Amino acid sequence: MIGSARKRLLIALAFLLPNLLGFIVFTAGPVAFSLVMSFTDWALTRHNRYSDTAVQWVGIENYQRVLVGDEAHLFWDYFGNTAFLMLGIPLGIAGSLALALMLTALPAPASTPRRARYALLGIILTLLAVAGTWLLTTPGPPPDPASGSELLLRSTETGLTDLTRYDVARLRSNAAVLAAAAAGLVATSGLAFGPMFFRGLFYLPSLLSGVAMFLLWKTLYRPEGGLINAGLAPILGWIDLAARSSPPLLWHIAGIALAAATVLAALFLVIVGLSRLIHRDSGPASFVGRLAIVATMLAVGLGSAYVLVQLPQRSLLPSGRAPLSQSSLSTVIDRLATDLPSAPPDALRRAAAGLGDTPRTTDAISALTAAAGDSAADRAAVTRAVLDAAPLVYEGLTSGDGLQPPLWLVDARWAKTALIIMGIWAGLGGGTMLLFLAGLSNIPPELYEAASIDGATGWSRFIHVTWPQLAPTTFFIVIMSTIGGLQGGFEQAMVMTQGKADTIVLAYYIYNIAFTDQFQLGLASAIAWVMFILIFAMTALNFRLGSQMTGD
Amino acid sequence: MPAPATSPRRLTLATSAIFLALVVLGLTFVIPFLWQILISLSSLTDVDLLSQTGFPPVLKPGNYPLVFEKVDFAKYFFNSFFVAGWVTLLQVLTSSMAAYAFSRIAWPGRDKVFLLYLGTLMIPGVVLMVPNFAVVLALGMFNSYWGLIIPGAFTAYGTFLLRQFMLTIPPSLDEAASIDGAGHWRIFTQVILPLARPGLIVLAIFSFLGNYNSFFWPLILTKDDNLRTLPIGLLAFDSTYGRETPLIMAGSLMAMIPPILVFLFLQKYLVRGIQLGAVKG
Repeated sequence: MIGSARKRLLIALAFLLPNLLGFIVFTAGPVAFSLVMSFTDWALTRHNRYSDTAVQWVGIENYQRVLVGDEAHLFWDYFGNTAFLMLGIPLGIAGSLALALMLTALPAPASTPRRARYALLGIILTLLAVAGTWLLTTPGPPPDPASGSELLLRSTETGLTDLTRYDVARLRSNAAVLAAAAAGLVATSGLAFGPMFFRGLFYLPSLLSGVAMFLLWKTLYRPEGGLINAGLAPILGWIDLAARSSPPLLWHIAGIALAAATVLAALFLVIVGLSRLIHRDSGPASFVGRLAIVATMLAVGLGSAYVLVQLPQRSLLPSGRAPLSQSSLSTVIDRLATDLPSAPPDALRRAAAGLGDTPRTTDAISALTAAAGDSAADRAAVTRAVLDAAPLVYEGLTSGDGLQPPLWLVDARWAKTALIIMGIWAGLGGGTMLLFLAGLSNIPPELYEAASIDGATGWSRFIHVTWPQLAPTTFFIVIMSTIGGLQGGFEQAMVMTQGKADTIVLAYYIYNIAFTDQFQLGLASAIAWVMFILIFAMTALNFRLGSQMTGD
Repeated sequence: MPAPATSPRRLTLATSAIFLALVVLGLTFVIPFLWQILISLSSLTDVDLLSQTGFPPVLKPGNYPLVFEKVDFAKYFFNSFFVAGWVTLLQVLTSSMAAYAFSRIAWPGRDKVFLLYLGTLMIPGVVLMVPNFAVVLALGMFNSYWGLIIPGAFTAYGTFLLRQFMLTIPPSLDEAASIDGAGHWRIFTQVILPLARPGLIVLAIFSFLGNYNSFFWPLILTKDDNLRTLPIGLLAFDSTYGRETPLIMAGSLMAMIPPILVFLFLQKYLVRGIQLGAVKG
């Protein structure tokens, strides 16, 4: 080692200095600063260079407001939303593990000639599929225009695009050929490049995770004309048909049978776990893990049972988006009238009718405000009343016939589910799966050999070799996803719902308090620290459970 | 990789089933992007028809240049590259120097300072967001490139990652160099940096992609349209022209191209980096 301790310190400091300076100013300093801020009433709208007001030390008042005071209902509400969104985490982890297992089981093409042969095979199959799809779907030569063909679709807004039955058939044929080509391309690349190609494809959303991808999903989720509902409509149609054309009793019996089977299986698992616990075959941590699995099983099983039982009544997905019926319109008007007693009935009616449509809502709100008075307080009251009444409109809209797809992002009952589905899709092949792949490749092959000598195959091989060996990886993933989940959800909500439909999460709340609503930096810091404590507690809990499970 | 139970020569039933499942799953990843392309090529009046026809009646590639006419999309692109590029460059530079000090020089108090660095990795970004905003405001960097670039240029994470990388380089190499009379700066630039190249590339990719997609910070820090990066520009574009779905899809599709290119060319580093970041130090 060169030089004295003192000289080494100086050299080290020279190397460290640029980073350390930034670290102190933008990381370590702000942490301490933030803690101090959280005990003050600092708000940029009150304390700035144009005002002489001094920042006041308020002690734990901010924390009181957040946890039990006037902000508490919002905080716990948004915490609930965050926790609901985090339900997607275990599903996503299970999906990523399944995907990693599938990719590991898929052999990669061994050599370049074999790869080329597979690629050739894929290309031929693709060409055949494309040609076949085209032959099956193409509507043939255009009909004689003189014969006058029937108009099928009319472009809704301007009528510029009139499509005949022939046009629609031709376009659908194009779409089918495109889909066949896409399927062929995926299969060909998979044949030629094996797991490497799939790994790249599934990783794609993680690369693009950001505003651009959320905008894409916002389009996919559009209630009318979105890809997801266009795909769901026929499936729901079949289910609806099945529900109508068979006796309701059948569905009730199926649902009850499923519920009973779920409960029995859960009981069995709990009893086995208890007996192992009593005989000290396994520790309390593995019993907790078992309980978590049983809880998930119960939730999925009983949930599906409920879906089956209610299917004949179609209470879960009613719909048929008829225009707002007279009765639901008057419900909305009544609600608005109780909140705004002084507003003229005519303005109320317009506000109610316009609620489904943003520009008209804005007009209605300004009309109501003008009628109610012009102070900021009145404006706030009008806005709140209209927002309160909005859910009633969607209830009114969804009172029709048959099973209809959900309204997704505009419906408070479905918006969070929509965000969870998107999150699982986006995260399925991301970092989690790559970590599982690495973990799987680190399992010594001898273990599998030993297991197969003992006669273990498939499931028992997974339970006795793969799963315990993956425990440290899973543990790491659970901790990181919990930390990420508690902090996450802001960007999606900001881009896709603007916080409407009950999608505001804790990070969004901090954004609102700190950067839109009077820039209350003190209060926002307090919320951030409460969040930090929550994150810390969750991590500590994970560690406690995990360290017992992984056995160190 | 545990040897699959079947020989790779024969495609067994199980592997064929897995292959088929992967292709079907793969399609759920391809089709949304195909749909996005189709919408971006539709005319505004045809967007609602698309769910019934599956294909636009008239292809309209003119949507793409139209995005640049409606908003200053080229400027957003430039800002994203400019900010992400500078942050990446500075981050790699400062982190590699700090990592050298933590992995190559034995100085009193080293482990305590490093523990402090590690400790801040556990602090959620949300806690830092509010005080950082105040700091940047106090330094007069609000609504400027400085504010977008400087706070991101020093990360404890980058230092941690590169330290892990440098620890794997055998110490005999720099000992040999120091016997030859090389000082620390020469050892750093001529021995350690070339050997840590894969680590530097990993950090550079993470930093670039992270800052390219970065949302919260530029959102609170920029006021002027000509400072907006792509995510913020896209959000503003959506709130102004939200009804013009084809333009929104064309814009977001273009914003997706750079990360895909980075991934295609640097895939092996990225995969390795994600797996390395998980190794506990």
